[in-house]
Formats: sequence, C-alpha cells, structure tokens
Amino acid sequence: MTTINTETATSDHRARLAQRRQDRFRHVEPRGRREYTARERAEMLVDAGSFVEMTPMRVDGNGNGAGVVIGWGRVDGRGVVIASHDAAVASGAIGAVMAETIQKAQRFAIDKGYPIVYINDSGGARIHDGILALHGCGEMFALNVLAQKRIPQISLILGPCAGAAAYSPALTDWTIMVREQGQMFLTGPDIVKATTGEDASAEDIGGAQMHTETSGVAHLEVTNEGEAFHATRLLLSYLPSHVGAAMPLVAPRRPDPVAAERLPYVVPDKASVVFDMNKVLDGVLDAGPRLELMPAHAPSVLTLFGHLDGRPVGVLANQPNSRGGVLDAKSSVKAARFIEFCGRFGLPVVTFVDVPGFLPGTVEEGRGVITHGAKLLKAYVETTSPLLTVVVRKAYGGAYIAMGSASLGADYSWAWSGAEIAVMGPGGAVALLHRRALRDADDPEALRDELAAEYRENVARPYVAAEAGILDDVILPEETRDRLVDALATLGFESGADVRR
Amino acid sequence: MYAARAEIVGNVWRLHAQEGDHVAAGDLVAVLETMKMEIPVLAGESGTVRLHVREGQIVQEGDVIAEIA
Repeated sequence: MTTINTETATSDHRARLAQRRQDRFRHVEPRGRREYTARERAEMLVDAGSFVEMTPMRVDGNGNGAGVVIGWGRVDGRGVVIASHDAAVASGAIGAVMAETIQKAQRFAIDKGYPIVYINDSGGARIHDGILALHGCGEMFALNVLAQKRIPQISLILGPCAGAAAYSPALTDWTIMVREQGQMFLTGPDIVKATTGEDASAEDIGGAQMHTETSGVAHLEVTNEGEAFHATRLLLSYLPSHVGAAMPLVAPRRPDPVAAERLPYVVPDKASVVFDMNKVLDGVLDAGPRLELMPAHAPSVLTLFGHLDGRPVGVLANQPNSRGGVLDAKSSVKAARFIEFCGRFGLPVVTFVDVPGFLPGTVEEGRGVITHGAKLLKAYVETTSPLLTVVVRKAYGGAYIAMGSASLGADYSWAWSGAEIAVMGPGGAVALLHRRALRDADDPEALRDELAAEYRENVARPYVAAEAGILDDVILPEETRDRLVDALATLGFESGADVRR
Repeated sequence: MYAARAEIVGNVWRLHAQEGDHVAAGDLVAVLETMKMEIPVLAGESGTVRLHVREGQIVQEGDVIAEIA
C-alpha cells in the first residue's frame, strides 16, 4: 500500500511541474507588431538551445509571473545575460518584483563579467506598486551605472517604452530600436497633449526615426525583431565580455582588392571637394561586415566597429560627404561617446581625419559647441586604449587637435603625403597675415593665390609636423593598412589590459 | 514636390539648375560654400526646378534651396 502511494505521488509532482512549465510558455496577446513572447525573444537572441531561464517561477503575488524573463545563454559561444520584459503581464509595467528580478540578472552579469542585453517592452513603473516600483526602478538604474564600469550593456526597444523603461536604456551603451514598433519617451501622447497642447503620435514623440536621426537617444534603427537580434549579435562580436577580458579575434581578411587598388585616388586633391570616407575605410580595414552606429545622427562623423588584421577596432572618421565633415555640437557628442566606450573596453580607436574645422555661428554656439567639443578632447585624453590617427587630407585649427592628435595622446599619428595641417586653411590665413599687402596690391586676386600656394607649401604641408616630431611619419595611402596593423602589434592590445600607462 | 534643403549654414556659391529647368533625381542643383568646403545640394526627385535662392545668398541649415515638382 505504501509503495503504491509513493508511485502515485511521484507522477503527481511530475505532472504538476509539467503544468507549471507549460504555463511559462503562454503567448502574449498579439498587440501591435509584436511577433514573439518575452521568452521566445530571449531564445532567438542567443545561440540555438543555449538559453537557461533564471527563477522562472517567480511570481508577483497576483498570480502573474515576474513580468520579465531573465536568464543566461551564449552568443557565438560566449556567455551573455538577458532580461526580456514580458508585455503580457501588465503591459510590461515595472513593479517591485519585476525590478528585483531585473536586478538579479544585472548583478549576475556584473559579478560574472558577462555582457547584458535588455529587451525592453514596458510602459514604465507599475502604478499600483507606488513607491516600491519607483524604488525598484531607481535601484535598477544604479546597477546600470555600476555595470558601465564592468560589462557592455545593450538595450533593444521592441515596444512602447515610457518613463523608467526609457531611462534604463539611456544608461546603457547602445540602444537598438525597431521601426514603427519600438518607442521611447518620458511621457506618451496623452500627457504631451495635456501639457504642451501638441497633437503628436507616439511615433512622433519617441519613434525610431526621432531617436536615431534627431535626438541621438538610440543608435541603430532596424526593421524587425529578427534584425534587432542579429544586430545585437554582430555588435557583441566586436566586444570583450567585460573590462579586461580578451578581445574576440577573427580570421584576418585583406581589404577588397579593388577598394585597396583605388585607395590612392579616393581623396580629391582639391581640399574643398567632398568624397565618401567609407571608400577610404574599404581600402584599409579588413573585408567583411562593419557595424556603423548612429549612421543617421550627426552624419558628418562616422562611428563604427570593424577589424584590422582580425582584431576588433573602433573607427572614428570625418565624413566629408555629409556637411563637409565638420565638427559641431552634435557630432562632437557622438564622437566623444564612441571614444569613451572604446576606451572603457580597451578597443583601439583608429581616427581618419579630413576636417574643415568646428562649425562657427550663433546657432552652434547656442547649442554649446564649446562644451560639447571639449567632451571630445577629454574623451581622447582620458582613453587608455591604443589611439592611432591618420590625417588623410586637411586638419585645421581646434578640429585638428580634437580629432585624435598626438597632442591629446595618440600613440601613433600619420598624415598622407597630400595632407594639410595648420591653424587655419590657406584662404583665411592669407587674408589675416597679408591684409595690408593684399589691400595695396595691383592684382589682389593673383597675390592671394600666390600667397596661398606659398602658405600651403611652407606652413601647411605635413612635413612641418613630421620634422617637429609631432607626426610619426608622412605616408602614402597604400601604406596605411600595414602601418596600422604593425602599430597595433607594438601596442599588444589583445590582452585588453591598460597598455598605454 | 521635393524640397532641396541646405544641410548646413553657408552661402550659395553656384546654382547648377536654373528656374524652370528639368532635373533628374540625383542631379546637382546647387553648391553651397561653407568653411571652404563645396557642399553639393542634390535633387531628391526628378521634376521642374523652382529656385528659392540666388547666388551669393547666405542660407541657414534647413533652408529650402529649390522646390522640385
């Protein structure tokens, strides 16, 4: 009799567990463009079959789950932690239990040194939980900040994310939004209408276009969830798992031969003519995928990850094709943030320079270009990862200094043989230096051209900088890749350790 | 209707299309000069040009250079 009872009990508890697990796989109501449940999203992000859910049976006391799926998986074989908001529970609103569960994932990632990916789909703090929700969100933010010193943090925006659910991503490193599905705002359309009278849609206030083009709050726009997961995996492929961890190396690939062949002809001789800096990168970096971040925001500078001889590098470059490649308030902030990130994780920064200067005018001064430009200077000076700089054409004035100059601590800097480096361009310099001679000249235009040519030759040519030992060397475009690869080898950065100090 | 706008403050250095010209998408409409850089302004669509500026005029970021309809 006793034996039979035991057997019955065994099948009972197995059945009960099976039922509990099945409950976990409930599907969200299809709302908007959402395609998958919170758990499915986590599973899709990581290597197939590698997701292990942590505390799957946590409940919030109202018969619901915790409101978030947390767990651990692998991306290309390397560990990663995930917190995926469950929009099926109270629209993903963050209550005390949900906040506590997210914090558990954060602490695990920080302690063990794994990158963390937040899959955000939440209306913000849960109103019913009152101060407990606020306190939980605040503690989550504090861990976001703590994590910055230790691990990469990536935020995906896969639904409307308001208030607290928008602040947490802003404290992480990179934010990826799905077009017409993800939004971020402090307050939604109703409160905006009540406060400012604006009739604005959720998409107007905080859509992917707003944040990846205008505000710069988010860094990549994708068209669906699958693409968001792919972009996240690609981004992680350039990053060490934590500060001080080994760099993820890949097999080196020579640049596309056609691009390498064309490299000496990409940059127009005439300093005023624009060109696409991507063609320079095509001829220098490893062939294969690169990942450009913030492509639509402040596009006069490019910020992207790529490889040099199989080693991940951060690339910062002026883009003459957009606004002439100028530095201004927005592009300075974009550049500074990128360098600061690379520095934190020991990624080398390769800077390609063709900059006409900082944009003058009341609009830019009003935007605080001085403060924002200073952030760029500070980022270079403070960065302890290898800094390699190539002046491909012109570098004038404060913008020369700001674009990774030797003065700010570049480990190596080179200029191409056609480059010009000076306090200002020939036009402005001649007008200032020879004001009287030009005024008295019979043919001021001819004299101006003559003096400009002389200035270009005697003051602005890169040999002046190389002779002063400020540039390491003057090189040809086709020599650039080898110089960079050799330089990285001397800096031995793959240990990820602080190699400059 | 497509509005070709100045992407940066500068002066209208050269107009490549004249009032009433037909341009194709991608054609050069004007070149702005700012900080000694030649900033091209392109037609985003094909159509007939209606100019909003003249050569030598200073334009601010976002100003319409030409309407193309």
